[in-house]
Amino acid sequence: MKRRDFIQQSVLSSSLFFVPSFVKAFENVTRNSLGYKKLVIIQLAGGNDGLNTIVPYKNDIYYKNRPGIALSKQDIIKASDELGFHTNLAPLKHLFDAGHLSVINNVGYPNPNRSHFRSTDIWQTASDYNQYLNTGWLGRYLDTYEKNSFGGIELDDSLSLVLKGNKINGIATKNPSVLYQNMKTPYFDKILKSQTDAHLSEHNLGYLYKTMIEAKSSANYIYETSRTFKSKLDYPDNPFGSQLKTTAEFINSGLQTKVFYVSMGGFDTHAGQANKQGRLLELYANAIDTFVKDLKQNNTFKDTLILTFSEFGRRVKQNAANGTDHGAANNVFIIGENINKPGFYNNSPNLADLDENGDIKYQIDFRSIYATILDKWLDVNDTKILNKSFTKLDFL
Amino acid sequence: MKINHLQHLYWRAGFGLDVESYKLLKNKSKKEVVDLLFSESSKITPLTIDLSEFEPLMNKGYKGMKDALSKEEFQKFQKQSRKKLVDFNEAWIDRMTTSKAVLNEKMTLFWANIFVCQDNNIWHMQQYNNLLRTHALGHFGNFVKAISKSASMSKYLNNKQNVKEDPNENFARELMELFTLGIGNYSEKDIKEAARAFTGWSYKPNGSFFLRKFKHDHGAKTFLGKTGYFDGDAIIDIILEQKQCAKYICSRIYMHFVNPIINDTQLDEITEVFYKDYNIGNLMKYIFNSDWFYNDAHIGVKIKSPIELLVGIKKVVPVTFINKRQLIYLQKIMGQVLLYPPNVAGWKEDKNWIDSNTLMLRLKLASILLNDAVINVDEKGDYEDEFEAYYKKQINKNRFIKTEKKWEVFQIKFEDYSFEELKRLLINSQIDKDTQAFLAGLVLSDKKDYCIQLMSIPEYQMC
Repeated sequence: MKRRDFIQQSVLSSSLFFVPSFVKAFENVTRNSLGYKKLVIIQLAGGNDGLNTIVPYKNDIYYKNRPGIALSKQDIIKASDELGFHTNLAPLKHLFDAGHLSVINNVGYPNPNRSHFRSTDIWQTASDYNQYLNTGWLGRYLDTYEKNSFGGIELDDSLSLVLKGNKINGIATKNPSVLYQNMKTPYFDKILKSQTDAHLSEHNLGYLYKTMIEAKSSANYIYETSRTFKSKLDYPDNPFGSQLKTTAEFINSGLQTKVFYVSMGGFDTHAGQANKQGRLLELYANAIDTFVKDLKQNNTFKDTLILTFSEFGRRVKQNAANGTDHGAANNVFIIGENINKPGFYNNSPNLADLDENGDIKYQIDFRSIYATILDKWLDVNDTKILNKSFTKLDFL
Repeated sequence: MKINHLQHLYWRAGFGLDVESYKLLKNKSKKEVVDLLFSESSKITPLTIDLSEFEPLMNKGYKGMKDALSKEEFQKFQKQSRKKLVDFNEAWIDRMTTSKAVLNEKMTLFWANIFVCQDNNIWHMQQYNNLLRTHALGHFGNFVKAISKSASMSKYLNNKQNVKEDPNENFARELMELFTLGIGNYSEKDIKEAARAFTGWSYKPNGSFFLRKFKHDHGAKTFLGKTGYFDGDAIIDIILEQKQCAKYICSRIYMHFVNPIINDTQLDEITEVFYKDYNIGNLMKYIFNSDWFYNDAHIGVKIKSPIELLVGIKKVVPVTFINKRQLIYLQKIMGQVLLYPPNVAGWKEDKNWIDSNTLMLRLKLASILLNDAVINVDEKGDYEDEFEAYYKKQINKNRFIKTEKKWEVFQIKFEDYSFEELKRLLINSQIDKDTQAFLAGLVLSDKKDYCIQLMSIPEYQMC
């Protein structure tokens, strides 16, 4: 083999790619036993300040605790007698009015952890506060109900815990063509081409070959399928916008992927929060708006559920830098055409009854939301995936 | 010793067998080789980087420190400290690559994934890291006691907030669950009582331990069936009396050094050895000297960690990173950043290192480092990053990892060795028969190319 073959990431040899028969076997596994429902999860990474997102505009405690950053009544879009949307969330308010958005308040878990890392782990693995799992809840979904890595896609270049299973891991990509090229080096092709064995034994080396074959096969499938659909809408020109655009292309092209995970960063607003968060919420709402339009135009919105969460909310009391510190319970958005209880799902946060840190207490365990989605949307056994039974809610 | 046995030993007790060691050791007996491994690790050299700028600050007392540091100055310290952590990360990798005390360094890395800890204060972190190095082959009990008193651990598991009036159970819980006994071998009541024994344990800004007497609960505690006026050290002694403690640590050692799948007879055998004196060095010596350690069933069956993979390549061809951030970036996208464990349970090893994305990257690592192949993977941003910073590396497509490669060192080392010998020195797992045939079909003209080719097959991921 020539040195150049290693360096090149070229497409020249694409027509030479020879698919061993056992790879075909992987690709042909039918998934028709499952419906076509899709789930898109968006993490607002860094801890979005839920109180300045969905604002309790009649609450004196809110104004007292946030003299520098509270949103005045003019700066919100009123949605009920008590709560209003941040003014930059107008597109979200439209979804709310159309009955496509349910806002669930006071979501969290017992003994909340205020570390970004740990709390994200807890949300991604659906573990108890003192339990350390090495599989994500969507990874366990893949383990039980999917056969391929492309069963779950993270719109990123590296896979986070949420899509790691015991037997199957999801795949990470925010650009199917780059993923395809990355997997398509002539050298891998040659190694794989020379394989005649199925390598399906359980030992580690077999596992590596299996993963390699599966990765290549998934990358090909994602690339070939998704390029049959190009979105016609103008998404906001930022990375989050492109991630949602790619997700829409995945969904609208009929890709057999059921769960998608997107993370949007920047919400760790310890200082000068007002402008920063305002801008982020605007970016979020505009991208979601285009995304929903795209799905509607292609008749796939009815089959898509969008869940937005943040690993924690922020402290009720602002800090000295006109920012907020890490808190606990927060609101969660559920967007879709088939939601049972649009509007505000439950009561607004009780600011008169905070925990010892001055944070909002949780009322709904986030795993109840997962259980509801698994059971009523994806139509799978939630207890098996969450390792425990949680009360189902009726937002679906 | 047979080459594949030597290689096996040097991959498990170190970071691979280099040619010089091979030359030196191939005619020696197993016992001689193991003895040499231990004698080369008998002298412990702490790993230090220049932290003199922090010295005046760290040597102030608590009050002095509070007075000396305004909020801005504190933030400045934090920023500098994080920079130094990157330096320390690089220095650690360098140490693993070049140190003669390979066993001690391998043990240090192992313990960093048992007594898992993370701290942004480089002053304390350097102390903590050297505690691991100092006790790595010593007495396990003394080790646990020293770790329990370290500043970084005290912060990480909230022992600092553990006071008589309001005991914090975090440290006591992890001490038993992850550091000594394993889950299910103690009760919630034991955790509560142990937490009381650690109340008042604190540290000074310079990192030294001190007991806040008035915050310590001096009362009687009942722990694992014993009652007395226990302090933290006494709790650790009682834990050590449990055979389960020896068994738990041995099972972790076995999975890491022998085989991810435990053989119960072999585990029981080493548990007996360890329980006698809790001497880690004796335990390791016993394992490396036993015949079963060299069973084919154990050779080449483990998946290298990202750090083992990286250090292993560096040992064959010296590579230095021109940009230190890129070294961190590589660790990050492979899933193991030294000094930044994912959580207190540490990195899940073996199969857990592998998913489609990490495997493809790992298979290309040699080309990326040694052959200027481009890398097309973006780093995920940090939680603290602003929106733009969170995504900023996206603009930076088709990146080269800028390295300096010393191929001349490789050429000299392997000059006298055939292509076949090069293969045997680099790969110690069974080679898949189709891949073997593929390799056999290669036109061999250049050892450099062959080296990269070998490092790119899945078998090189195994050790």
